[in-house]
Amino acid sequence: MSESVHVSRQFDEDLGVLRTHVLEMGGLVEAQVSAAIEAYASGEIITVKDIVEGDHRVNKFEKVIDDETIHVVARRQPTASDLRLVMGVNKIVTDLERIGDEAKKIAKGARRVHEQGMLNVPRATDVRHVAEEAVAMLRQALDSFARLDVALADAVIHADAKVDAEFKAIVRQLITYMMEDPRTISTAIDIVWIGRSIERIGDHAKNIAEHVIYIAEGRDIRHTGKEA
Amino acid sequence: MKSARLRSLAVTVVGAVPATVLGVLVAPAWGWALFAVVLLLQLLSGLRHLARLDEWSRHPSPAQTLEGAGVWDDIFARLHRHERELRALIARRDLDLRQVAAAGQAIVDGIVTLDADDRIGWCNRTAERQLGLDLRSDRSQPIANLVRQPAFVAYLAAGDFSRPLRLNAVRNEEQVLSIHILPYAGGERLMQVRDVTQSERLDRMRRDFVANVSHELRTPLTVLSGFLETVRELPLEPDERDRYLALMAEQSDRMQRIVQDLLTLSTLESSPPPPENARVGMADLLDKLRRDAEALSAGRHEITLAADAGDLFGAEPELASAFGNLLSNAVRYTPAGGHIAIAWKRIGSSAEFSVADDGPGIAPEHIPRLTERFYRADLGRSRETGGTGLGLAIVKHALSRHQARLDVASAPGRGSRFSALFPPARLTA
Repeated sequence: MSESVHVSRQFDEDLGVLRTHVLEMGGLVEAQVSAAIEAYASGEIITVKDIVEGDHRVNKFEKVIDDETIHVVARRQPTASDLRLVMGVNKIVTDLERIGDEAKKIAKGARRVHEQGMLNVPRATDVRHVAEEAVAMLRQALDSFARLDVALADAVIHADAKVDAEFKAIVRQLITYMMEDPRTISTAIDIVWIGRSIERIGDHAKNIAEHVIYIAEGRDIRHTGKEA
Repeated sequence: MKSARLRSLAVTVVGAVPATVLGVLVAPAWGWALFAVVLLLQLLSGLRHLARLDEWSRHPSPAQTLEGAGVWDDIFARLHRHERELRALIARRDLDLRQVAAAGQAIVDGIVTLDADDRIGWCNRTAERQLGLDLRSDRSQPIANLVRQPAFVAYLAAGDFSRPLRLNAVRNEEQVLSIHILPYAGGERLMQVRDVTQSERLDRMRRDFVANVSHELRTPLTVLSGFLETVRELPLEPDERDRYLALMAEQSDRMQRIVQDLLTLSTLESSPPPPENARVGMADLLDKLRRDAEALSAGRHEITLAADAGDLFGAEPELASAFGNLLSNAVRYTPAGGHIAIAWKRIGSSAEFSVADDGPGIAPEHIPRLTERFYRADLGRSRETGGTGLGLAIVKHALSRHQARLDVASAPGRGSRFSALFPPARLTA
């Protein structure tokens, strides 16, 4: 009896550590994205090197957490909601790692744009705005994971459409600039890539929110269309 | 306990006496029957009281009466009293707890209590706002799950809390927080979150100010020493030499003006508030200011004056310097042929001093920063017209010491209007 209590407590602790590690990784990724956006917006591209190095830490985190999930599955054979948590974590970590990659791409793109001496392309500030929305989505997705807050996860899923729409608007705008003045093309393309990365961050945040709903309710709402 | 047992024994004995008597006098069967009846009655009474206790104990409350007969009454009374005292104690503790919680809420800083595993125990609303927590859902959640900035997580993990951690709030970009963690009551920790945005900003302003002063003084100094070297080392024609000396005098004038303006500002900051009963003759003051402005303009502008708002109470030198600065700005920034209108008019019970020109105007992004020290909307032109970058800072300061506020209305190409509204307390009837 006392042995089984002991084992189940140990198990709870393992799951707690797993969650905390995922959220710690999430915090790191959040910081990476914010720093990348800041580098783009302010033109202080010295931070790009730090961001690229930070991505190694994100990758290392992914491996550590993958190991932990495998251990939990192998040693504890979780069932029901515990199993959903472990499987959900496995997927969330993949999304977080991808977001880390996108942050790195944004940072490198920012360096290219600013080294060319940018901002002859007007309205590049729109990018910053949509970026802030994507960062907010990521933050809320992680909050909803920490609290297993399904309502918040739903809100994140709905916010993704807005980010997608704004990205399309930015592309349309940049196309007009490129047509008016071909000298802006190379910068504009770099900005499109940055926008694309931001849009992907929104998608990954949405995925995380979907995993949260799966963990909390066992409902798989991926690929089920608009209503979520 | 003991007395209750004795009393119920006594009742039985009292019942046994008439039963024995009856048994001896009539027949033993009758005696037994009576005894059985007495015992039965006693049992029934006991069961009734038990039922009452059962009923009461389902919802024990001092409001519910709990009465019984004989032995039961004592027991019931004690239970009832115990319940009442317990309630009172709980109410007192609740009050204490509420007061402690209210004190926690009243603290200006954010407060979070953490257990040995860094789980959230309690936090006040300030902390909820600062860190984006929600106590209803986040109690006993590890704090690092919600405050995820790597700097904070590392600070918490390192466990060295001798220095506070400076953190940019994620949820409100502008906010800078200073986080202290204090151990208390064994493994518990108290996390204190202070909003240091304001002091951070002041620090930055002070650093900027010192850097700006050095920069502003170094520029003319460099020019000056350059010319000095030229004059000393090269054989120069007298007229060339005179030209250099004139340029040097110009630069030293400029430095003098900067130092003068800095001294004026520091006097404004440190001197006592302007008197509330010293009358400043506005008609004379404005007339003199207009003549000064005309002299500066040298006939390039048309300057009009409309004054009908009576006199002001305050410090004449400060007001003269504030109004004079606004006027000389208008003259210096308005191209030749422009109009400058000075007005001193009643508006309700207040009065407004204004200087309006039809010059080039100011772009909206510059307007909120105009009164910052050394802020320049147009770097080149401001220096060439002899500005120190401190004029509007002095104006703002001098006016606010008279409870008046500087207002700027301007748009590119539409001229500018600088105005100051004085409250009734500063005006003569």
